[in-house]
Amino acid sequence: MVVPDTAQDTSKDWVELNIGPQHPSTHGVLRLKVKLDGEIVKDVEPIIGYLHRNAEKLCEMDYYCDALVYFDRMDYVGAMNMELGYLEAAEKLLGIPPPERAQWIRVVMAELSRIASHLVWAGAFGLDLGMLTPFFYCFIEREKVLRIFTAVSGSRQQTNYMSIGGVYQDIDDQIIYDIEQFTEEFPKKLEEIFNTFVKNDIFISRNKGIGILEPEVAIQYGVTGPMLRASGIEYDVRKAEPYLVYDKINFDIPVSYKKDNLARFLVRFEEMRQSVKIIKQAIKKIPDGPYFNPKAKKSLMIRLRGEGEVYARTESSKGEFGVYLVGDGGVKPYRVHVRSPALKNLSVLPVLAKDVMIADLFAISGTIDLVFGEVDR
Amino acid sequence: MNVLQRLQAFFAILGHYPSYILAYFFETLFMIIFVTVMLIVMIYLFRKYMARVQLRIGPNRVGKFGSLQLIADALKLVGKESILPRKRDDLPYRVAPIVVFLGLIMAFAIIPYGDFYYIGSLTVTHSNVSLLLLFAAIAIMPIGEVLAGVSSNNKYAVIGALRGVAKDISFEVPMMMSVLALVMMASARTSEPLNLTNLISVQSIPYGIPQIIGLGVFFIAMVARASYSPFDMSESDSELVSGHSIEYSGMRFGMFYMGMFGSIFLGSMIVSLLYLGGYNGPFSGDAGFIYLLIKAMILVIISFTIWLSVPRIRIDKFVNMGWKYLLPAAVINLVIAGILTLGLSL
Amino acid sequence: MIEVKEPKKEVPLIGTIKAIASVGKHIFQKPVTLQYPEERPNYPDRFRYRIFLSLDDCVGCTLCEQVCPNRSITMQKVNRDNPRNKRHIYPDVNFGTCTVCRNCEEICPTDAIYLTHTFELARTRNSFTYSPEELSLPEDEVIK
Repeated sequence: MVVPDTAQDTSKDWVELNIGPQHPSTHGVLRLKVKLDGEIVKDVEPIIGYLHRNAEKLCEMDYYCDALVYFDRMDYVGAMNMELGYLEAAEKLLGIPPPERAQWIRVVMAELSRIASHLVWAGAFGLDLGMLTPFFYCFIEREKVLRIFTAVSGSRQQTNYMSIGGVYQDIDDQIIYDIEQFTEEFPKKLEEIFNTFVKNDIFISRNKGIGILEPEVAIQYGVTGPMLRASGIEYDVRKAEPYLVYDKINFDIPVSYKKDNLARFLVRFEEMRQSVKIIKQAIKKIPDGPYFNPKAKKSLMIRLRGEGEVYARTESSKGEFGVYLVGDGGVKPYRVHVRSPALKNLSVLPVLAKDVMIADLFAISGTIDLVFGEVDR
Repeated sequence: MNVLQRLQAFFAILGHYPSYILAYFFETLFMIIFVTVMLIVMIYLFRKYMARVQLRIGPNRVGKFGSLQLIADALKLVGKESILPRKRDDLPYRVAPIVVFLGLIMAFAIIPYGDFYYIGSLTVTHSNVSLLLLFAAIAIMPIGEVLAGVSSNNKYAVIGALRGVAKDISFEVPMMMSVLALVMMASARTSEPLNLTNLISVQSIPYGIPQIIGLGVFFIAMVARASYSPFDMSESDSELVSGHSIEYSGMRFGMFYMGMFGSIFLGSMIVSLLYLGGYNGPFSGDAGFIYLLIKAMILVIISFTIWLSVPRIRIDKFVNMGWKYLLPAAVINLVIAGILTLGLSL
Repeated sequence: MIEVKEPKKEVPLIGTIKAIASVGKHIFQKPVTLQYPEERPNYPDRFRYRIFLSLDDCVGCTLCEQVCPNRSITMQKVNRDNPRNKRHIYPDVNFGTCTVCRNCEEICPTDAIYLTHTFELARTRNSFTYSPEELSLPEDEVIK
């Protein structure tokens, strides 16, 4: 009998470990098939689809105005950006541009939403690394944003605030005052949170030089958003192809050339500071006028018809969020497709997490900023 | 007159040996009750402290200020079904939590507690080499963790156990080196420096002041022993779910949980005994035990704050730190202690 | 474009101690938790949850049924004397699937269906559907 000499076969020298879908640091329902050699990760295979809700098909089965509800539930931590992405496409298709005032309000809301999303990310990233407390400080700040959202739209997370041709309701002086108050207080708190992270030697040592993403690789995999900017490529849809009124606002895109986890962390925090800057400018510039395009009156909501195909892209908190819409002249879209940034960013994880330690695998997957509503849709 | 002598006098009618046996039995029982009460206090304190640092309120529904919450939790743990993994290695799997808990209780039986007014000292063991015994008892707990990790037939648990072993080896050598410096300093004053009571009573100033490096090394080692953040690699929540104790549920899990909090308290007690003067202090007199408890509790709060605010260190970095920084630091500390002992005869 | 700078390097250990202290000093701040059943937050005016129906205003146009993204609304036949509602159909709402998107409120031509602040709708599993009469009642009068 021939006994195979497994001891010599180095290709079998690994343990396969299933991480997730129920695991504390897979941010929902990511499943990772990991090949381990001791502590070293030899290979990672992300498996997705555990939160697949068929959102694109559901959108095709409903009226144009109803799709917003499903878009709210894609990136549920930063819902306003999702709505904005859809409306950019839908309004182009239906030919109902929003009035000036609605555009400025949308900018404010989108940036608040970006802050909310990045704060969730920062807290969860801390938890991934084992910091129990900054999570709560992040969520306390986020709660203030959500309170503004409640005052504006009536809901905390799934706001359904923007609607085709404008916004659901106008913002009044009280809300403007609340937002101004928030922009006054938030930067101080943000620095406090920032310091609890970066003053820590252990935090720096866990992130510096870990998970290097080369710019060429990032472009090959279609990585966008803060991850791409942390690899040293200045690409932001808000600057590259300004939508709404972003071309009238003075802001910078943060870029880092260090390419590692720490760079992604710093870029996201700098983005929050820039968002505050945008909100401060936008809230002063909101013009008077209608907040709603009369062509999309509420009672006409389900009679809107569109024909043709459009693709619109916006910069969500995760990256470039694209919506592709095809209308066949009916009241329902013929095809809805979403280019979700988190999915594209996740696809680069096997490259980043090659030959790292298990602990670094989670640090890296933490910096990708995964939200599974958006990855699986 | 300590608790043991009082108990022996109480049972003296029964004769010499039975009275001592009974006295030891009851004193151990008192000690276990004390440790259990302290564990409950610790867990309650941790939950309240964590909540307040995180700007929450913490348990406040069961009993006044949530004081009965821990009892409710313990009842829940006892009442829970203990789910056993099918392909476990049965004996080690069942023994492991008991080993962890016993190691903890043994360590508590060895440390001296200092006097407390009319009751006297609760010290159970009066040995000439109690320092060695103490560290032998502390070294039992990792064995239980490794047993748990290997026997529960789970990859996460095995990785956790492996990390635990690597961690233990790298911090215990510097820890013992720093203790050696203590013994060296104490040996100038007493002929039995390995006796903890002697070691503490000869501290004219707390040993933490001349041996600040040793204090740091020893404290880090105690943090690593209790395995909370930043050194909780073996049971890291976000990586290995809960490491070696992943397959445990019910009261078996409760034992690991109590073992963790117990080792935080034990670590604080030992640090305050060896380095902060223990139950000595101004006006200590009969209240030495209270001094010890206050010192230990301050250390416990510091430990909790560290736990809550520091990210986990990576295992290879920790091993690096153990061998490249802590061990040389402990050696330097030893040299300093030698110079101080010979030159200044502190 | 701005390049983000890496934070200033702290002295080893001192930075960590600063970070630990900055977390520890939060113990002196007031907790932000609201003890929910006893304390209640201030709900903004636009805060919306439970759907109400004014039976007298409803004209049975079925627009709310059509616009509901989750098909939570279905039309029911109710024998009721209402000259504006010739077909005698009124919406019922399944709160098990309702996402409170407010589309029904926005589209209603007579403002018969509207959302209010009431949000404590704990019910047993089989009774999430509110009939038209129940929709017109206040929450504590609805049989659970």
